[in-house]
Amino acid sequence: MNILLLLIPLSLLFLAGAVWVFFWAVNHGQFDDLETPGLLPLDDSDKRETPP
Amino acid sequence: MSSSPNCWHCGEALQKGVVIHARVAGTTRPMCCQGCRAAAEWIEQLGLSDYYALRTSAAQRPAPDVDPATHDSWERPDNARHVIRDLGDGLRESLLLIEGVRCTACVWLIERSLGAMPGVVSVQVNAIAQRARVIWRESKFSLPQLLQGLARTGYHALPLDARGLDDLRRRESRDALKRLLVAGFGAMQAMMFATVIYLGAAASLDVSTRELMRWLGLLVATPVVFYSARPFFAGAWRSIGTRRIGMDVPVALAIAAVYAASVIEALRGSGEVYFDSISMFVFFLLAGRYLEMRARHRARDLTDALARLTPPFADRKREDGTLQRVGIHELRVGDCVRVSEGDIVPADGVLLTGRCRVDEALLSGESAPVTKRCGELLIAGSVLEDGPVLVRIERTGADTTLAGIAALVGRATAARPQLQRAGEQSVARFVVRVLVLTAVTATAWIVVDPTRAFSAAIAVLVISCPCAFALAVPAALTRALGALARRGVLVVKPDAIQALAECTHAIFDKTGTLTESRLSLADLHTFDGISRHEALRMAATLARESRHPIARAIAAADPGMDDAVVSDVATHSGLGVSARIAGREFRLGRSDFAVAGKPLAHEFEDAVMLADDDGPIAAFRMSERLRPDACAAIDALRAQGVTVLIASGDASSKVASIAARLNVAWRARLLPADKLAWVAELRAGGARVLAVGDGVNDAPFLAGADLGVALAEGAELTQASSDIVLKGARLDSIAYARDIAQRTLAIVRQNQRWALYYNFSAVPLAALGFVPPWLAALGMSLSSLGVILNALRIGRDAALRPAGPASREQVPAEACPRPAA
Repeated sequence: MNILLLLIPLSLLFLAGAVWVFFWAVNHGQFDDLETPGLLPLDDSDKRETPP
Repeated sequence: MSSSPNCWHCGEALQKGVVIHARVAGTTRPMCCQGCRAAAEWIEQLGLSDYYALRTSAAQRPAPDVDPATHDSWERPDNARHVIRDLGDGLRESLLLIEGVRCTACVWLIERSLGAMPGVVSVQVNAIAQRARVIWRESKFSLPQLLQGLARTGYHALPLDARGLDDLRRRESRDALKRLLVAGFGAMQAMMFATVIYLGAAASLDVSTRELMRWLGLLVATPVVFYSARPFFAGAWRSIGTRRIGMDVPVALAIAAVYAASVIEALRGSGEVYFDSISMFVFFLLAGRYLEMRARHRARDLTDALARLTPPFADRKREDGTLQRVGIHELRVGDCVRVSEGDIVPADGVLLTGRCRVDEALLSGESAPVTKRCGELLIAGSVLEDGPVLVRIERTGADTTLAGIAALVGRATAARPQLQRAGEQSVARFVVRVLVLTAVTATAWIVVDPTRAFSAAIAVLVISCPCAFALAVPAALTRALGALARRGVLVVKPDAIQALAECTHAIFDKTGTLTESRLSLADLHTFDGISRHEALRMAATLARESRHPIARAIAAADPGMDDAVVSDVATHSGLGVSARIAGREFRLGRSDFAVAGKPLAHEFEDAVMLADDDGPIAAFRMSERLRPDACAAIDALRAQGVTVLIASGDASSKVASIAARLNVAWRARLLPADKLAWVAELRAGGARVLAVGDGVNDAPFLAGADLGVALAEGAELTQASSDIVLKGARLDSIAYARDIAQRTLAIVRQNQRWALYYNFSAVPLAALGFVPPWLAALGMSLSSLGVILNALRIGRDAALRPAGPASREQVPAEACPRPAA
């Protein structure tokens, strides 16, 4: 069971890393608009309407 | 990128010699036109320039610094005048954005606390839009006092202002997402550690490992409680501070009690810990609130729409005749502004120069431009078709006709009865009962056996956790929304489902809704033996030179592109177009223009004529075309027992002919306020009204109906005031959506009954101490799971069913069968 003493802190480190990455992404606007970026590559019309 | 030959904003190729620039995110970018420039500057001003940054993965947006203006600065007339509306008679009106409105209890609280202030005439709060509309008497009250009053109640309010709105919204959505994620991760980890403890109880887990798992549970649950659950504590604290119990109080109490108990147990090293249950609880609650917030944000805001309908800047003429670019809120009555061709009129004003044509689709819903002469009124938001012109400003900001319509919409929305109120209240009542029951259980056990009091109380609290109850509605709604979205029905406000299922009357706007927004060629008569095909081809060649709706319709009627050499093209404003084809001079337009000076039969005087110097060649008649699915849609609705009506601003004769074809009752020549009044009249008679429209003139009546349906190709403001947006203008989806809505309500009722039965049977057992807390947590999760699985049936059932009784039939619009009324 001693391996737990290594694996659990490791998993917590991963967890902290994931939370940090996610916070960074949110703070940098990656989640502000979940719809439009997905549509941008599909929009090949000549003139775009005023962006949201 | 600044050397790109394309417009930075719209991507269109730049015209040679035209140099327009705008600063976006600190860099000068080329723009193709003033419109793009204004848009880019506006985006920049709103702090949304990361729209561009995301496309290039370059510049980083400056950190948003939300520093709400101190209340007193609203005292300055400069700031106050575009957020306060003068109702006359000493009355003032403001629309406030209120942060932190969560439930109907908050609405009640705000209405009560503000309504009690001297000088406040009326307060209306819309929880979904997070807005309050306040009317007060100026002699006794002021905007700063109003804001301070709200702050004292615990709500942060901003007089509505597009910039503040966007920042608030972004902050709210980012915070919610972070809290949700922390709670989700915490719940996952806590559950893992808890599983070890539960399984370890069966196997022989050594004491130190068990202890370690407890401390780890504490470690991951702590951020969940102190970070993710903070909104609940803040909300509860606010409620307690004002001595009014909202929904947050029981939730916060439950979280705090379970967490505190678990910490004590972990410190003592004995007994049970519930870090997993509490993290899950917080996660589920936050998930529900996040979904709700997304839906709320999706319902695009009035102010957004307004900001897009009026330009951010205007060119004001100085004393010396030079132009000065100013923000529209700086415009004063009496200012003289210049509007260029294709630009939007910034404020209501009187035309000072000769004559011009403007597109007032905004007000009338009619797409044909209107000719205005010197001294006539131009309306803010209308588009100038030819120019430039000078305009003397008569009304600005909140006094313009456009703002008037918007205010009408806002008022209608705020006055709408909250349909989901009943659902929320039942959950709130439920929670209060649970708390009472918990207290009773605890007291009873303290008398009987104090050692078991705590665990029994916790079991009651956890087993009856309103999760299944609270999930009953959102789970079914989410599923229904998904099923509807696949059919192009976008539901922007979740309570629309209930209204849709219960509606008894459907009112349709005519122009652009039942009929296609573009005109179509109805009839063609030729002279002098020219073939119809030949006449149409010639007319279409000329028509392609003009942007007028009639010209577009004629051009569209001739599919072939021809390569005739066209020269000397001249567009005659309000009359028609003339050009030289193969050496012959042709004219297309009004009869008095095209066949000027030549004899013409009386019957063709109101037709669109094609003529050359020798006389008329062909006559064209235009008509509105019924949408192909309009008949089927109306029949399907009627088959469901819905009364269908038409409300139109158009002339009686036109409305009557369309209504006769569809065999429905109608009213014509209605102004936006008249339509709203009709809806109010029907509702007063006990009807549940569904309104369908597309133009800005429909916005108030959409907002005032129980359910507003807007077409996706319609105006932004209309979509903002609607509950449902139809993509691709498929009217037959309405009946299908109503069908789904009714099934959804049935499932919701089933779910609620189910959750209630579960609680009725489980809570007594828990109160008697027969249920250990871990089993309570399991029961809670299973009941939630059952509710979710039941909700999943909605989409599956719907997928198997045909869209609607009549919608699959291809009925030609002209030959629509007339069912007996």
